[in-house]
Amino acid sequence: MIEPLFLEGVIKILFVFVLISAALIISTRSLASVLTTYTVQSFLLAAVSFLLYLMEGKSELLLLAGLTLASKVLLIPHFIKRIEEKIKISRDLNFTYLEPTTSLLLSIGLILLSYAFLSRVFEAFALSKLFFFGAVIGLSLTLMGMLVMFSRRKVITKALGYLSMENGVLMFGIFVTELPFILEILIIIDLIILVLLTSILAVGLDSSIEEYRKKIRRLQVWNGGEAL
Amino acid sequence: MLEALAYGAVFALVSGTVLPLLYRSKNARQASFGLSLISSVLLLGFAGTVLYTGKEPSFPAFGFLPGLDFTLAADRLTAGFVLLIAAVLPGVSIYSLEYTEHAKSEARKALQAALTSLFVLAMLLVVLAGNMVGFLIFWEIMSLSSLLLVLHDYSSEENKKAGFFYFVMTNISTTFLFLGFISLYRLTGSAEFGPLEYPAGALTLPFLCLFIGFGVKAGLVPFHKWLPYAHPAAPSNISALMSGVMLKVAIYGFLRFLLAAASPELWWGVLILIAGSLSALFGVIYALKESDIKRLLAYSSIENIGIIFIGIGLYVIFRVEGLETLALMSLAGACFHAFNHALFKSLLFLCAGSVVHATGTRNIEAFGGLVKTMPATSALFLIGSVSIAALPPANGFAGELLLYQAFFQASALSANPLLTVFMVIALSSFALTGALAAALFVKLFGITCLALPRSEESRLAEEVEKPMLFGPAVPAVLCILTGIFSKQILSLAGWDIEFPDLLLLGLLLAFIYAALFLAVRAKTEIPDRISETWGCGFPALTPSTEYSSAGFSEPLVMIFKSIYRTRIVHRPEYFDGQESLFKNGHVEIRLLRFFEEYLYIPPALAIDSLSKRVAKLQNGKLDSYVLYAFLAVLTLIIATGVLV
Repeated sequence: MIEPLFLEGVIKILFVFVLISAALIISTRSLASVLTTYTVQSFLLAAVSFLLYLMEGKSELLLLAGLTLASKVLLIPHFIKRIEEKIKISRDLNFTYLEPTTSLLLSIGLILLSYAFLSRVFEAFALSKLFFFGAVIGLSLTLMGMLVMFSRRKVITKALGYLSMENGVLMFGIFVTELPFILEILIIIDLIILVLLTSILAVGLDSSIEEYRKKIRRLQVWNGGEAL
Repeated sequence: MLEALAYGAVFALVSGTVLPLLYRSKNARQASFGLSLISSVLLLGFAGTVLYTGKEPSFPAFGFLPGLDFTLAADRLTAGFVLLIAAVLPGVSIYSLEYTEHAKSEARKALQAALTSLFVLAMLLVVLAGNMVGFLIFWEIMSLSSLLLVLHDYSSEENKKAGFFYFVMTNISTTFLFLGFISLYRLTGSAEFGPLEYPAGALTLPFLCLFIGFGVKAGLVPFHKWLPYAHPAAPSNISALMSGVMLKVAIYGFLRFLLAAASPELWWGVLILIAGSLSALFGVIYALKESDIKRLLAYSSIENIGIIFIGIGLYVIFRVEGLETLALMSLAGACFHAFNHALFKSLLFLCAGSVVHATGTRNIEAFGGLVKTMPATSALFLIGSVSIAALPPANGFAGELLLYQAFFQASALSANPLLTVFMVIALSSFALTGALAAALFVKLFGITCLALPRSEESRLAEEVEKPMLFGPAVPAVLCILTGIFSKQILSLAGWDIEFPDLLLLGLLLAFIYAALFLAVRAKTEIPDRISETWGCGFPALTPSTEYSSAGFSEPLVMIFKSIYRTRIVHRPEYFDGQESLFKNGHVEIRLLRFFEEYLYIPPALAIDSLSKRVAKLQNGKLDSYVLYAFLAVLTLIIATGVLV
């Protein structure tokens, strides 16, 4: 049996890597790198889940680790890699609202905000330090994923932002709420469908959501407030 | 028995609403107006009995929503205003028999007849409503049905603007009423119109909300601007109803609240009195300059609403000061003037409708000589003008006399010198209003009916059909009767106040005039001589040498020059951005529309630009929407963090 304290130390180190991966998703311009980062992040999550299984011995955690490994480390990245090859775009250089530097600074703010928020919310529960940190990282990851979704232009990056956000939810779930296992499976199925849809949109229509919007607008009768 | 009369009237009006919609024939429309006539007789019986005997009918409550019952109720205040409706309705109904038939298409005729009945029904039920729920529901029906009637001729740009203006203003009114009633409900915990026994200060919010809400609907300055737009757009019979009855319904609502409030405050009375005086004065000053006959009458309505509010203000002040007799006299003055105004203003609007129908224009500069071409209408118009100018013994005089009497005795307020000074100022402005109103109607009647026709349309005008003469004849007769028998009517209604007997005065006046006429006639030896007026050396006198409307009011315009300020507007258009190639331009010199430009347009523009900014949020960009979601989540997190 491995020492629990040692395991805890390893998990904490993994937390740091998870945060670094989130930061990389925000700022990396090469699509291939973003994908790799996401794969690594998912792998880290699977590892965290596995280590937690070793600590607590709940079989769901082991299943979750396996499921994450299969879907998020192998299947989804494989799909996305194929899309990237097809659309022949290797970089996402454009940002809306926030430039990468600002985004990173904002992310630090988000982590602090999550910390402050959760420490107030969990005041009443006697949560161990590890679990509390897990929740903070999970929430930060969710928010940072959302940040990716609106600050980056390409559909692929947006999808990866969403996936990263879901990783945050998963993390939060592992440490705090313990979602029923069936829900985890459903979420993963959702993700796979999302990736499939993304592939259709990205390959079939265009690589950039801007272009896609123009095409949509040409078809619709009512155009939003922009014409005013 | 009493209840049956009220139910009968309501039933008649409901059938009058449905009938023209089911059968699109002239007969159905005639029947609809006939039913209005029947309902007015029933209401007369109902209101007269309640007013005379003081017996209050009891109506069962109708379950409307769980916890919200809808009840009818009638006390003497209600009866007074039901009587007002019953007095205006016959004239308008008879008039509409013919007038509605001039509408452009069958559908419009049917719609106009149906909506007229609905409008009257809604006004009746607002007055009869026993609690706030029914009041607000029927208030809204009243507003909407009148809006549709204002938009009757919806194809013209001007009418669309009028309708929109009215729509906005009436919604502002309803919003404030809701606020007022909700704050009352929070205070009392019931939707009934019960006595409000609360210490001073507790009723401030409801008072202000209801004052604004009812003030907007009644057309009190500075919320009056919808009136001069809506009346020219509306058909004349509807103008008669709106000005004659609907404005009074607002007065009724306001009085209902003030009478229920057990301890009104002095500043309420002062505020009402100031608003009333300003409305009266501004109304008549703007009317003097106006040359659109219906707009002129609309401004005159503002003036008269001001006079009624002066009476209400006096009532509150005297009540706070503990002078019960004077308070009662002021209240009687306000109510009686409201009743009288309903009569002569509907009479004037109906006559104006006939004149506009006969000549095809609303511009009084184009009228003239109608006394020869339309003698009966002119005679009715004269009665209306005499009444509204408050000449004895017509009813306008009787109502205003009550207010003057109350004002004169305000010296009883000697305890508060500041208040006395204030009352003197209010009295003088009230007197000025009276004088200007007389000048206004001398001008209106003189320019419209006397002298030579100023235009071809006026020369060729023909007297209108019988119903359009019998209709206005009803309020005309009532105007004279209520004036002459004012003392008797007031005492029948239970107001035994010190008041001169106008019957005696009328007889005396008639006798003096007759004696003078006969004396002069007997004395004079020169026989009647018919010749041409001296034309200052011109070969022939043409209508262009006549006194014009603008010319008549010029001296008064000079006096009030500071109020009638002009504005020069020019809007050039250019081909290019540097403004060097002139393309087109519009230049006008017009009266400064003070309230509109400084009070109405700025908030409207602010709301507009705010809406445009809000609309920009919906820009069709996915990124922005995700950003909003992100910000919403952040706000939620921060809010939860703060609240926990």
